Order: sequence, then C-alpha cells, then structure tokens
Amino acid sequence: MGLRDDVAKILISEQELQARVVALGHGLNAMYTDADRPLLVCVLKGAFMFLADLTRHLEMRHEVDFMEISSYGAGTVSSGVVRILLDLECNIEGRHVLIVEDIIDSGRTLEYITRNLRTRRPASLRVCTLLSKPSRREIDVPLDFVGFEVPDEFVIGYGLDFAEEYRNLPFIGVLKEEVYQERE
Amino acid sequence: MKIPSAIERVLLSEEAIAARVRDLAAQISADYADADHLVLVGVLKGAFIFMADLARQLTVVHHVDFIALSSYNRGAVTTGAVRLIMDTRVNVTGRHVLIVEDIVDTGYTLEYLLRTFHARHPASLRACALLSKPERRQTEVLVDYLGFEIPDVWVVGYGLDYADRFRTLPYIGALKREVHEGGKK
Repeated sequence: MGLRDDVAKILISEQELQARVVALGHGLNAMYTDADRPLLVCVLKGAFMFLADLTRHLEMRHEVDFMEISSYGAGTVSSGVVRILLDLECNIEGRHVLIVEDIIDSGRTLEYITRNLRTRRPASLRVCTLLSKPSRREIDVPLDFVGFEVPDEFVIGYGLDFAEEYRNLPFIGVLKEEVYQERE
Repeated sequence: MKIPSAIERVLLSEEAIAARVRDLAAQISADYADADHLVLVGVLKGAFIFMADLARQLTVVHHVDFIALSSYNRGAVTTGAVRLIMDTRVNVTGRHVLIVEDIVDTGYTLEYLLRTFHARHPASLRACALLSKPERRQTEVLVDYLGFEIPDVWVVGYGLDYADRFRTLPYIGALKREVHEGGKK
C-alpha cells in the first residue's frame, strides 16, 4: 500500500494502540456511572477513529456529540482561538463532559475549547487524549486521560493526517521528512 | 460486555459486521484503484463508527470528510426535508465522492445528499451504507455498496441510536418493542 511507503517508522503498533484504548475504556468505566451519563465530545476530524474504538469499550450509559473547528489562520495561532464550524447538538449545562482529542500539542486549541465549554456550565469537564506531545506544550492544560506521550515528531495515522492523507492507517507512524518537505 | 436489557436480540454480531466491512472495503478498493481524489463523506452522527472501520480497511488513498444534517420536523416520520448543518470541508468538484451512511431507511436523506452532491459536479458519485431497510423505502435510491438488508425493526449500536442511547454498542441489536413504543426516554 502506497501510503505505508511514506512512513519512516511505526511509533505505536495497532496492537499497542488497541490495548491502550481498552485500558482507557476501563479508566472511563471506573470514573463515570450510568447516573453521570457522560457526554463524550469528539473534536473532528482527527479524533473520530479514537472515539469509535474507545466508546465501544464503555459500559456506562453515555452519549456522543461532535464539534468541528478550524483555525482562523496566521495571527491567531498563539491565542488558540478557533472558529467553530459545527457546534454541539447538545446543551451541556449540568452535564458531565469528556472532551475526546487525538493529540494535544501546544495545548492552545484545547485551552480555548475548554474555556468555551466551561462558559456553558457543565457539571464536570475532563479531557481524554490519545496522544500528547509534552515537549511542544506552551500552555498548561490538565489532561485527565492520556493514551501515549509521544516525542516531537510528525505523527500520522489513526485519525491524524498530513494534508488530509494517512488518517486511515491503523497505527501511529512517523512521516518521512521528505514527504512533508516536498509539499512545503 | 453485558447486553443491555432494552435489547431484544443481537441482529448482527461484532464479527459479522467486521467481516462484511472487510468485504465492502475490498470491493471499494478494487473499484477505485485507479481513481484519484476519492473523498469519503460520512454522515454524522450515525456513520462515525462505520467510517472508522471502513477507512482502515481501504487500500486506496482517500480523504475523509463529515457532514451533519438535521430534519426539519423532529418526529419519527420525516417528510424528507433536510437541513444541512455542516457541509464538507473540501470542494468535491472533480473528485470521486462516496457517501458513507449508517442506514438507508425511507431513502429521503440519501436522495437529498445525492442531489446535493451531484449539483457540485463530482467526477463520480456513489453511496455506501452499512444497513438498508427496504420495507421502509419511500423513494427509489441506489446504494452501490450495501452491508446488510435488515427487517423493519428498531436497530441500535455501531453508530445507530435510540434517543442518543446505545449508539456505541459494538454490535447491531434490535430494540425491544416496549422501549421505543414506551414514549419518551
């Protein structure tokens, strides 16, 4: 398969990913009860694959909702302010909300999203991310569930893309440098 | 994982779904082997699990996009009028578009999507649905890639919900009649 030729190395194999997703599911099962009826908020597009696998391991009553965001482009990066293309269908006031993310990098977007959602007065607000790049962090955001900490490399697969490609790789890989340099 | 009491029976097991998704992905990969710019358009919320599993099995390069719709009247009976809440991120003109749906019921939603995307002049336009309920069809629509035909029972799981519940069960289950006829959640 052509896409795989662009992968410099596999950082997290499909088996490791799936085992960790099961463990995260157990963590959530311990955290929330049926009565909490948590709302899992998936930030599109990157997190859809993680959400699809994670939620299939949940045993408590829960719901899912989606947000799609886009950056305003140059100049707003440092503020983390993003444009909400799709807002939640659900009113989260008084609800237990869990944000599901694919990766936390600088933390600025997440910080903005959590600030935005907090104004809606949820009963609780937690974050579950598959990946975290602590070396890139510019703002301190508390992460309640983290799948893997990864080094500062160009990671793709399992929802994460480069120029909209590679999202469907079932593992997390590192993209070959020449692939992203070619397109810059 | 124990089966919720609201579920009457498992209609399609996790294994049966996985096997069928593999078949569909193989067929799609073969059909689009020479196509550039394939875009999978998933319909939220229902199709996200199917999309996640289908995309992973595809061997052709593709982009994934999502759209969100809402019907104008919130009842169980729809007239087919659909409101587009979130459009695709990508311009589909000149691209091969494959719509990915969880279920085709009356056919109104898919018909709306096919009309909407057709007007944008894609290179090709096809539909893939995990489930179809032929007995419920109100309008003729062609589903190019279909997972399973099922009878007219209320199904939940693998993306499908009842009042936002049971959506993430890893199998497709039939809901007990007294649950969905019992009125509100």
